[in-house]
Amino acid sequence: MTNNPYHLTPLRIVPSTENLERIRAYIASAIVSTFLSEVERNGIILAVDEACANLFTHAVAMCPTSVIELRIVVTEHVVTIEIRDQSAAFDLRDVDQPDMDDYFREMRPGGLGIALIRRVMDQIDYVPASADIPFNRLILRKHHRSAS
Amino acid sequence: MSTFTTTVRHGEDGVVIIALHGYLDAHTASEFERELRALIQGGASRIIVDFSDLEYISSAGLGVFMVFIEDVRRDHGDILLASMRENVFSVFDLLGFQVLFTITTTVDQAQQEFRSRR
Repeated sequence: MTNNPYHLTPLRIVPSTENLERIRAYIASAIVSTFLSEVERNGIILAVDEACANLFTHAVAMCPTSVIELRIVVTEHVVTIEIRDQSAAFDLRDVDQPDMDDYFREMRPGGLGIALIRRVMDQIDYVPASADIPFNRLILRKHHRSAS
Repeated sequence: MSTFTTTVRHGEDGVVIIALHGYLDAHTASEFERELRALIQGGASRIIVDFSDLEYISSAGLGVFMVFIEDVRRDHGDILLASMRENVFSVFDLLGFQVLFTITTTVDQAQQEFRSRR
């Protein structure tokens, strides 16, 4: 990996869970030769899968004809994934995290995707659409542990 | 599109072993839920899930086990999870699922676990 950022051509897809495998393949192809361990790479793929599945299920359901766009930039120190959508704004950082002891005691069947994203990624940012930028941006970052 | 299939075989003492193949994600989890529900409604309560041929799992797949675990335990049964690849196990591990589920290295160990509970 050089100091030059590696940009993969953005992936534009319709919001369907049928496309999750394609999304995972897109992310995997961009990070296969990074500084990250296999566990970390699998974690990033999982986090993006969870973020997109959540988007498909909740936000985009209100606007099924929209298209989402994934962008990924890989540098020596960080992998940055941006997910753009034009549906109702949904900031996953606002979702309360489940206490896993309570979760198991109550045997709840769902609500784990955002918890996984938070456990795997180092930084989560969200920029809702505005008059200037007509799409929401979810930005996920994973840093190289030993990067200076 | 994600591919996911299951195969079912019967072990000793009424144990049912369901093997998962492919990718268990938000697209395929509903199919797995239907199949597991059919098994349980058909009388299965001692179930081993063989993960050895499962390439990938996301939270939607984990959620399926949460749907049924209470019902099978009420029936004095259990769902034991066996033979996971490292990347699949790490998803369970990230959320601490070992607190609720018995996870064994092999299907044989899961069968032994059921035998020990007789």
